[in-house]
Amino acid sequence: MRSYLLHRLWQSAVTLVLATIVVFLGVRALPGDPAAAFAGEERDPASLAAIRERLGLNDTIVVQYGKFVLGALRGDLGTSTRTGIPVSQMIGTGLPVTIELSVLAMLVAIVLGVTTGVVAAVRRGRPAEWFANGLALLGLSVPNFWLGLIAILYLAVGLGLFPASGFVPLGEDPLANLHHLVLPALVLGTGIAAIVMRQTRSAMLESLGADYIRTARAKGASPRAVIGRHALRNSLVVVVTVVGLQLGILISGAVVTERIFGLPGFGKMTIDAVFQRDYPVIQGVVLVTAAAYILINFLVDIAYSLIDPRIRVAGAQT
Amino acid sequence: MRLSTAAPKIWARGAVTLGIALAAAVTVACAPVQQAAAPGATPATDIFGTPADPAAVQRGGTLTMALSAEPDMLDPTQSRSFYTRYVFHTMCEKLYDLDQNTRIVPQLATALPTVAPDGLTVTIPLRQGVRFADGTPMDAQSVVTTFQRNLTMPGSGRRSELGPITSVEAQGTSTVVVHLSAPFAPLTSVLADRAGMIMSPAALQQLGDKFGSAPVCVGPFKFESRVAQNSIDVVRDPNYYAADRVFLDHITYRIITDASIRAANLQSGDAQVADQLSTQDVPSLRNAKGIQVLDSNSLGYQGITFNVGNTSGLGNAPGHVGTPVADDPRVRQAFELAVDRQALVQTVFGGLYSVACSPVSPDTVYTSEAAQACTPHDPAAARALLQEAGVQMPYPIKMITSNNPDSLRLAQALQALVADGGFNLQIVPVEYSALLDQQDRGDFEMLQLGWSGRIDPDNNITNYLSTGGGQNVAGYSDPALDALLTRARTSTDQAERVRLYGEVVTAIHAADPIVYLYRQRNYTGVTSAVSGVQVFPDGIARIAFAGRTR
Repeated sequence: MRSYLLHRLWQSAVTLVLATIVVFLGVRALPGDPAAAFAGEERDPASLAAIRERLGLNDTIVVQYGKFVLGALRGDLGTSTRTGIPVSQMIGTGLPVTIELSVLAMLVAIVLGVTTGVVAAVRRGRPAEWFANGLALLGLSVPNFWLGLIAILYLAVGLGLFPASGFVPLGEDPLANLHHLVLPALVLGTGIAAIVMRQTRSAMLESLGADYIRTARAKGASPRAVIGRHALRNSLVVVVTVVGLQLGILISGAVVTERIFGLPGFGKMTIDAVFQRDYPVIQGVVLVTAAAYILINFLVDIAYSLIDPRIRVAGAQT
Repeated sequence: MRLSTAAPKIWARGAVTLGIALAAAVTVACAPVQQAAAPGATPATDIFGTPADPAAVQRGGTLTMALSAEPDMLDPTQSRSFYTRYVFHTMCEKLYDLDQNTRIVPQLATALPTVAPDGLTVTIPLRQGVRFADGTPMDAQSVVTTFQRNLTMPGSGRRSELGPITSVEAQGTSTVVVHLSAPFAPLTSVLADRAGMIMSPAALQQLGDKFGSAPVCVGPFKFESRVAQNSIDVVRDPNYYAADRVFLDHITYRIITDASIRAANLQSGDAQVADQLSTQDVPSLRNAKGIQVLDSNSLGYQGITFNVGNTSGLGNAPGHVGTPVADDPRVRQAFELAVDRQALVQTVFGGLYSVACSPVSPDTVYTSEAAQACTPHDPAAARALLQEAGVQMPYPIKMITSNNPDSLRLAQALQALVADGGFNLQIVPVEYSALLDQQDRGDFEMLQLGWSGRIDPDNNITNYLSTGGGQNVAGYSDPALDALLTRARTSTDQAERVRLYGEVVTAIHAADPIVYLYRQRNYTGVTSAVSGVQVFPDGIARIAFAGRTR
């Protein structure tokens, strides 16, 4: 187990370094001058030259990368070229919002997805399965931005049940925080719920047809115990994988939901930074996103090995 | 046998799925996400809003404003974004301000400046007993410190605006004297913008180039906090010299970039003010209960810029582009004749924006008949002119434009409209940052470009069309136009300036390096929960002296 962990840690570190290099070069390959993007309509050659100098854009790529890495090692990710706010401060305020939104969306997805997936598998061929399949199809097909707009128009503007936008930090007022996040979490969680549902359903169908389920039934186990303790538990390996992968996608992909609901999250910050060619912010968020992805994959691998001891043994042997 | 039992199940399963999908489709069709503007709508008359009636508003409370774009640095020297001016309005007063008739009025100054007969010395009298938000006094020396920072700080966005200033000195505590190397008529209007915002010398000393992280100026409100990409909060400043005129305790600027979401926030009451309403939302909001739409012409313009000499990038000497549209003004004039501005504004914006033929705002004192002269739509004359120029018909021309939906709709309408006049317009959509880069490098034939506008015509023309102008991406150079612009900016006689800008517009129409198309109108939504919000032609929502309605 220890050698398996060390091996995975080494792989993770290399991946992180490669990710920073790719992003560092990639962002500079984008057409557009960050100085011009900053200056907008009020730009002239003299100002542009002064802005480039201030942003360190006249240094060579190697020097710029070196400064970025040295700064990152000290915990200094630079300041936003557009707002002058330190990137670490921006991430510090944006990341908790996105994590909270992602966790809530994932809760929505797990509760909806696993429940409907189990129902669809157990009630195979009956109206309950068709209904669940229909819901899954809808969840996969309906774009987030549309669902968000509809939710705002009907649930916020029409019925006044939820705020149309905005955010209250958890530490300030937990109830208001939850009130502001219910709609975004539902919108974001629906798409993931559909994926979780489909995976749960197929894994459950496979489990329910297995010999050990027949054995359990033959031993007189109750239907609830057969489904919950035996079939669902064995299906969870697949579900945990899907949830792990989707959590990574959620953190970087909550852009649309955050934009629509005006949440000061990480996804919105990333997309705005790309459009504004705000190099320090892009680099900072990609570094943190890559680290999050790597950490989540690492944790998923550990979760695998806890659920299925064979994986641990196989991993340790490699 | 299996097939016969499976088939109904499959049909039933399909029917359920189809039913859900149809229900979704019906909901989509019924959802009033965006409503088209009523055809035939005409621009409304100006509705600037009225000052708060003290009897109708209560003291205290919070106002939330939905802001359409994120402000940049909250530093008057370094800021370059139009939207930052919204926030500055509540916390950084200026030496001068505008009224609803776009006249310059004193704000931190007590009167309009006195200009010496030779135009080289400008004297500004200041308010007495004014304190910054940090409690330190604002005096003539503070003003000098601000001027010096604006003139010398690397990357200052104000340096080029301030013109030929040689020095600034304090005379006592309440008078500032500005010395110029040449007369500079736009100075007062420049001081009615960010260059006229006076910063606390104590805060400048403490924060240096990080002043924008906690700005300290003179204003009804003072900076409290900022959450990047999301919101800016300001609170009432007890040090403000007219604190009794301030009703609200707190203002939150919440950044909501999507126009329909801004409108939804207004309707749900989560925001009480929303700027830059979409022309698609304006008709329905005008009819919505409890919402008033303020409406005024903007000072800016949207137009078409031709590359007539930008061969080696912005800031370099103009060169020979070698295309008919660059070399022959008749081709550009033909394009202007081919454009039906009224149809364009009607088609794309439901008639809610105004036609523009000139960089001089018709709402300022600098306007005249000559300055607003317009080339009429005449496709036959356009084709004749193209024939006379001896170019291929239809004349193929590529236009780069921003790839956002509004710009693309405008480009497509333009493409259809100029076809009759003998042009085959090809649209090249480019992402905004890349577009800025491409236009600066001169890598375009024609582009769609706008400017938020200023009251003084010099700020709307010289940078764009004078030889070597800071934003002359067209690469245009005409010594006669340069001379006219210099005379206009150095003249201290208002009547002469009006006449000269008329001549400038005539000269622009003769060469058409820029074809002006339309002027946006400032549509700002205000709910009945607040009173006293005003929007003048500069587009800034004035919310500092508003209050929650009783």
